[in-house]
Amino acid sequence: MGQLSLKNVVKTFGQFEVVKGVNLDVTEGEFIVFVGPSGCGKSTLLRMIAGLEHTTAGDIVIDGKRVNDLAPVKRGIAMVFQSYALYPHMSVFENIAFPLRVERAPEAVIREKVTAAAKILHLEQRLQQKPGQLSGGQRQRVAIGRAIVRAPEIFLFDEPLSNLDAALRADMRIELTRLHKQLGATMIYVTHDQVEAMTMADRIVVLNAGYIAQVGAPLDLYHKPQNTFVAGFIGNPRMNFLPVTCTGITDAGAVIDWQGKAVTIPVHAMASAPGQTFTLGIRPEHLTLAGGEMQLGVTPSVVEHLGQQTIAWASLNGTAETSFCVALPGDQAIKADQSVTLGFSAADCHLFDAAGEALERRLLPGTSNG
Amino acid sequence: MALFHDKNTPMIDRYHWWEVIAIYAGIFVFLFFLLAPFIEGFLVSLKPLAELFSTPYSFWPENGSFAAYSTMWERVPGFAWYVFNSFLISTAATVIVLLLVVPAAYAFARFDFRGMGLVLGGFLAVSMFSGAVLLIPLFRLMRSLGMLNTYWAMIVPGAAFLIPSAVWLLRTYMMRIPSELNEAAWTDGASQFYIFRRVVLPIASPGIVVVAMVTFIGAYSQQFIFALTFNSKTEYMPLPIGLYAFFGKQDVVWNELMAAAFVGIAPAMIIIFFLQRYLVGGLTAGALK
Repeated sequence: MGQLSLKNVVKTFGQFEVVKGVNLDVTEGEFIVFVGPSGCGKSTLLRMIAGLEHTTAGDIVIDGKRVNDLAPVKRGIAMVFQSYALYPHMSVFENIAFPLRVERAPEAVIREKVTAAAKILHLEQRLQQKPGQLSGGQRQRVAIGRAIVRAPEIFLFDEPLSNLDAALRADMRIELTRLHKQLGATMIYVTHDQVEAMTMADRIVVLNAGYIAQVGAPLDLYHKPQNTFVAGFIGNPRMNFLPVTCTGITDAGAVIDWQGKAVTIPVHAMASAPGQTFTLGIRPEHLTLAGGEMQLGVTPSVVEHLGQQTIAWASLNGTAETSFCVALPGDQAIKADQSVTLGFSAADCHLFDAAGEALERRLLPGTSNG
Repeated sequence: MALFHDKNTPMIDRYHWWEVIAIYAGIFVFLFFLLAPFIEGFLVSLKPLAELFSTPYSFWPENGSFAAYSTMWERVPGFAWYVFNSFLISTAATVIVLLLVVPAAYAFARFDFRGMGLVLGGFLAVSMFSGAVLLIPLFRLMRSLGMLNTYWAMIVPGAAFLIPSAVWLLRTYMMRIPSELNEAAWTDGASQFYIFRRVVLPIASPGIVVVAMVTFIGAYSQQFIFALTFNSKTEYMPLPIGLYAFFGKQDVVWNELMAAAFVGIAPAMIIIFFLQRYLVGGLTAGALK
C-alpha cells in the first residue's frame, strides 16, 4: 500500500498549461522529492495528487485505483501545507485530533492516537497550548502530527520548511528523514531547495516548466544529469557551461578541441558528433589550482572566503557578468582581479548537445556510485 | 525638551512639547464639535423647564437636579414599554441580519461564482437608498404581506436595509481568513458545512461581533420612520415614538425629553459594552507561518 502512479497528467489553467504530461511511478515507502524553480508546476502537481486541484487530463492512480474524481479524504493521503494551516482557535491537541473528530472517532481512540503522534513529534508538553504560543518549528510539527494521526498511505508535503530559519530547517530535515524511517510510509515532498532534495530523497523528480527534466537518485542527478537544466539546477554553486567543438570520436569518448589541444571526454558519443558544437559542463568544485589535462586562465572579480571553501566568480568573455564559478576547498590565497590558472580533468566533464541533452558519461568505477 | 515619553519610547513615537499640545488641541476641537449637542442635551435634562426659556440663556444649570429623570415616567407612562419595544425590534433585526449575513458573507468571501460582482454591486446600490424614499412601495408590500401594525412591520424593513452593509463588512473580514485552513480541513475529510461551523465561525467571531454591534445600533436608530409609517398600534411603538410623546399640545417638555433620550439609549449602550468584550484581536495568530 502507498503506491502512486501518474499517467500523462496534465493541468491547464485557462489557456496556460502548467503541468504538461507527467509520468511517474512511486513505489511504496519511497521518499520522493519534487524539485524545480518557481512556477515549474511542482506544487500544482502535488495539489492534484492531494485532490485539491482538478486534473485536466491523465490519470492519478493510488494503489491501483484511479483517484482523479475522489475527494482528498478518500485517497488515503494527508497533506502538510507550507503555511502549516493550523486552526488558531484550537489547542494543539484539538488541531492534531481534527481529522479524527471529523470521522467521529471515539474519544478514547482520539486520545490514544494524538498522544502517540505527540510523542513521535516531541509535542507532549505543548498539547494544551494554542498555535500562537508555539515557535515555527513546533507549529510545523503540529501540522505533521495532524497528518500522522490519519495514518495515511501517502504523505504530501508542500514546501513545509520554507518558513523556518536555516538552523531549524536543518534540524527538521533530520527529523523528517527519521520520521520517514519510523513510519515507513510513502512521502512526496515539494521543495525549491536542492539541499532538502539531495539530503532527504530516495529519488528526486526535477521539474522544469511543467515537464519532468529527470528522475533519479540524488547522486545520479549529480553525476549524470541528463540535460543542461538538471546539470545547472543540481549542485551549488551551479555548473559552468562552455562552448566546445567536437573533432572526433574514439572508443574512449568524444574528442574535443580545447584551446588547440585535443582532449577526450569519456562519454558515449553518437557517430554524428564530429564537427558539432557541444556545451562542456564542469562543476565549480572540480576545478583545481594545479593539475588536470585541461587548463583555463581566469581573473575573478569577486572572491568569497567561507573558511571551508573559497568561491571565486569570474567572467570568461570579458563582460561584467560573473557567470564562471570556481569552488576550491579550504582557504585559498586567491584575490580578486588577479589572474589564476585553473585545471580540471576530462573525467569530471559533462558534454551536452545543441538541444541541451547530455551525452551519457562513462564513469569509471569508484568515481561515483553510479 | 520632549514631554510625555521616557527613554524607552521609540524614536518614531517621540514628539516635541508643542507637537503634543497641538495634537491634544486638535483632539479637543474635534471631540467638542462632536459631543457639544450631547453635552447641551445632558445639561438641558438637568435644568427646570422654566430656566430653559429665561433670557439671558444660561448654559450651565442653576440649581440643576435630576428631577426630570423621575417625572418623565409619569408624563409618558408607557415609556418603559417603548424602550422595551425598541430593544426587542433591534435585537430581532440583529438576529435576522446575522443569520442571513454570516453564511452570505462567507460565500462571498470564499467562493467564486457567476454573478457575484453583480450581487455585491446590487447590495451597494440598495444601501444608497434611504428607507424614506421607498416608503410607499414598502407600505404596499407590508400591507400585502399582512405585516402592518405588527412588530414585523418594523423588524423586516429594518433588517433589510442593514443587510447590504453588513455583508460588505463581514465579507472583508472573512477574506482575511487564510484559505489554506479550508484546504487543510477539506483534505482531512471535513465537509463544507463542518469547515464553516468548526473553523470559519470561531475565527470570524470578532468580525461577527462588530457586525452585530453596527447592526444593533443601526436598527436602534432607524426605527422612527418605519414605526411612524407601518404601525399605528401604541403597544408596538418604539423609543423614537415614545420620545415624540413629550411633544405636548402647547409646549415641548424639553428637559424630560432630553432625560428620556438618555434613558432610552442606555440599553443599547449596555449591549455594546457587553459585546465589546468579545472584540479580541489577533485570533488568527499562529494559523500561518
